[in-house]
Amino acid sequence: MSDRIGVYVCECGPNIADKVDIKRILTEISDLNEPPEKIIIAKKHKLLCSKEGQDFLAGEIIENELTHLVIAACSPRDHDITFMNVCKRTDLNPYLYKLVNIREHCAWIIPDKDEATEKAIQYIRAGISRVTYQSPLTEKELDSIPDVLVIGAGIAGIEASLSLAGEKRKVYLVEKTSSIGGNVTRFEKILPHQGTNLDIIQEKIKTVQENENIKVFTETEVEKAIGFFGNFEITLKNIQDEEQKKEFKVGAIVVATGFNLFNPEKIPRYGYGKIEDIYTSMEIEESNSKTGKILLKSGKPPKSAALIHCVGREEKGYCSRVCCNYMFKIAQYLKEKTPAIKITEFYQDLCLPNKADQEFYVDTKNKGVDFICFKDIAVKQKDKDKFIEYTKMDGKKEKISAEMIILAPAIEPAVGSKDIAELLNISLDETGFFQEAHQKLNPIATSIDGVFIVGSAQNPKNIPDSMMDAQAVGGKILTQLIPGVKLVPEVIISEISDAFCTGCQTCLSVCSYGAIYFDEDRNISVVNEAICRGCGNCVASCPSGAAHAKHFTSLQIYQEVLEAIR
Amino acid sequence: MKEYKPKIVCFLCKWCTSAGADLAGTSRLKYPASILPIRVMCSSRIDPMFVVKAFLNGADGVFIGGCHPGDCHYHEGNYHTRRRFAMLTKVFDTLGLDSKRLKLSWISASEGTKFAKVSNEYTEKIKSYGENPSKWNVFL
Ligand SMILES: Cc1cc2nc3c(=O)[nH]c(=O)nc-3n(C[C@H](O)[C@H](O)[C@H](O)COP(=O)(O)OP(=O)(O)OC[C@H]3O[C@@H](n4cnc5c(N)ncnc54)[C@H](O)[C@@H]3O)c2cc1C
Ligand code: SF4
Ligand code: SF4
Ligand code: SF4
Ligand code: FES
Repeated sequence: MSDRIGVYVCECGPNIADKVDIKRILTEISDLNEPPEKIIIAKKHKLLCSKEGQDFLAGEIIENELTHLVIAACSPRDHDITFMNVCKRTDLNPYLYKLVNIREHCAWIIPDKDEATEKAIQYIRAGISRVTYQSPLTEKELDSIPDVLVIGAGIAGIEASLSLAGEKRKVYLVEKTSSIGGNVTRFEKILPHQGTNLDIIQEKIKTVQENENIKVFTETEVEKAIGFFGNFEITLKNIQDEEQKKEFKVGAIVVATGFNLFNPEKIPRYGYGKIEDIYTSMEIEESNSKTGKILLKSGKPPKSAALIHCVGREEKGYCSRVCCNYMFKIAQYLKEKTPAIKITEFYQDLCLPNKADQEFYVDTKNKGVDFICFKDIAVKQKDKDKFIEYTKMDGKKEKISAEMIILAPAIEPAVGSKDIAELLNISLDETGFFQEAHQKLNPIATSIDGVFIVGSAQNPKNIPDSMMDAQAVGGKILTQLIPGVKLVPEVIISEISDAFCTGCQTCLSVCSYGAIYFDEDRNISVVNEAICRGCGNCVASCPSGAAHAKHFTSLQIYQEVLEAIR
Repeated sequence: MKEYKPKIVCFLCKWCTSAGADLAGTSRLKYPASILPIRVMCSSRIDPMFVVKAFLNGADGVFIGGCHPGDCHYHEGNYHTRRRFAMLTKVFDTLGLDSKRLKLSWISASEGTKFAKVSNEYTEKIKSYGENPSKWNVFL
């Protein structure tokens, strides 16, 4: 059968019409007619993207029985989808169409009309050449599972579960310890502007446990997770009894594994673990919440306390963001218990990111807490007394004594984050927290579709920010994974030809998505269609020409290039 | 005599540099007609053979444009591009092709001005080298 190629040049009002000679384009393009193999129909229209323009195109496709369509108009960013949809209204496969951008690439950048016209012709010729090498592609539909796996039952995981669970969506909430709630449940209070007592948190824990659409597994870990957005196969294992497994499928995975505190023993100058009455912030929170008391080892309340911020900040290379605020909270605990206590807070930098933080800081200061900004600091012991030796910002060295010392160690990614990353094929960043898809534009997504990160697993975060993440993920999943709605995976993807693949696995090593697996039996690599995003990296890396990028095949690109430079 | 107009093939990734080129147009910046953008999904799609082929078929220069390091839509695609480009430069020299005619540049979707600037400067540079001689002595 002969190729019947329709070429339609858009005037875009005066945008294109004034800058290139459309009449000349049509004449020269019509000259490429080579019946009977190649029939070219070249026409112009004043506004192709308008409703009228689209109807005109659809009519032309049908009437002229076009086998290929080339549109010379604007950027594919503007109207590629518009024209693909026009194709879909007819029998023409949308992948047998090509949009040539003669507006941004010719009309608008070249002042000389002849020159702009010549480039447009060259470009349209390249488009015609490419389009005849394009192949029809079909969009497939896949069943998707609406259920979600949430890993980690801290406040972030709990909030995510609550915002996701519903009549048509089950949530599997997996926690490795024996109880849910995470680090927050170890505190006596939360910050005053967050409501002070833990009622809201306790209420949420209760609601999760009572929700029949949320299945909570404690002392459990994820053993396996294989699949893609819409369809992951999950295996859980019980930590106490590894034989006890549970298998099910979910459509999306939320990682909410939270944080651990840095071990201050690793920095000997703080004296932690060697000198008596030096505690971490968490130890103080726990003691206060369990016994209602903060006491020295001798059983007496302290008469003086030094609170040291930023422990491990330099070593880790980031600020933990939540410590300043909770150290004010701890200072206030101590003041409430012993109003006469002398408290000094040592900090390197104050981090007060939220709107109520400044007020809380001033309030703490007003309650008689001293603040000292230090350059260097060390805890020393002489006989029974403990001293803080510090260098101030102006270089002056001073020292004070304190009966109790409380450290704010850096917030670290949860133990086991690396295993989770490997299991899910996502990455950790240089600090060891989970790597987000984009720090600013997409902080809750990961490089793998359908795998999300929330709360302090991504970055040190306070409770409200962790909850906000969880709600955002809830929104994302609710809109992307609708019960009963099928998923349409990317059509422009890569494929590997069994006949040419030598099994060298170069392609496997370049794919950022883990979309290629090695088939041991056949000794070849295979692209998982549901995961591949179609970047084409594997194709460029393959030494034997076995990998192909659909819609961006080497042949299609060559044809376009050769015609463009002819 | 007609002024020598070089032919410069530009492989641009869809997400950044191609969008940057669009912005150059929308901002009505001017750059030479010699610049011939070819859109690919990611700069990492560019097989070094595309470049060699373009040269042997008469391109006077090849310019590869991708997202800034760290910004590739596919995460690490452009790191691979960078490595392949380094290798390509070496291969060019061993084959007796002129690696000075190759260019790699990171241009984001918001850098229309940078796209126009790079296009202008690069075209000038290629003009100063004159026509690509290798298309006359194909030896591959
Ligand atoms: C001393 C201290 C006081 C603080 N006070 C406040 C405050 O007053 N106000 C405030 O806003 N913030 C405060 N914070 C910060 C607060 O703790 C965090 O914002 C909050 O805990 C983050 O919740 P999360 O769910 O992200 O993480 P986490 O609370 O760490 O919860 C993570 C959960 O995941 C589980 N888990 C980890 N790995 C796995 C795995 N592989 N499989 C299964 N489960 C796993 C953990 O066991 C844990 O239950 C304080 C922090 C500290 C250290
Ligand atoms: S299709 Fe593009 S070029 Fe044509 S009128 Fe619409 S915006 Fe302008
Ligand atoms: S790089 Fe090519 S030959 Fe090697 S495994 Fe991948 S597809 Fe097969
Ligand atoms: S095209 Fe990109 S995403 Fe798809 S398999 Fe190849 S490298 Fe991976
Ligand atoms: S998408 Fe732009 S370089 Fe990869």
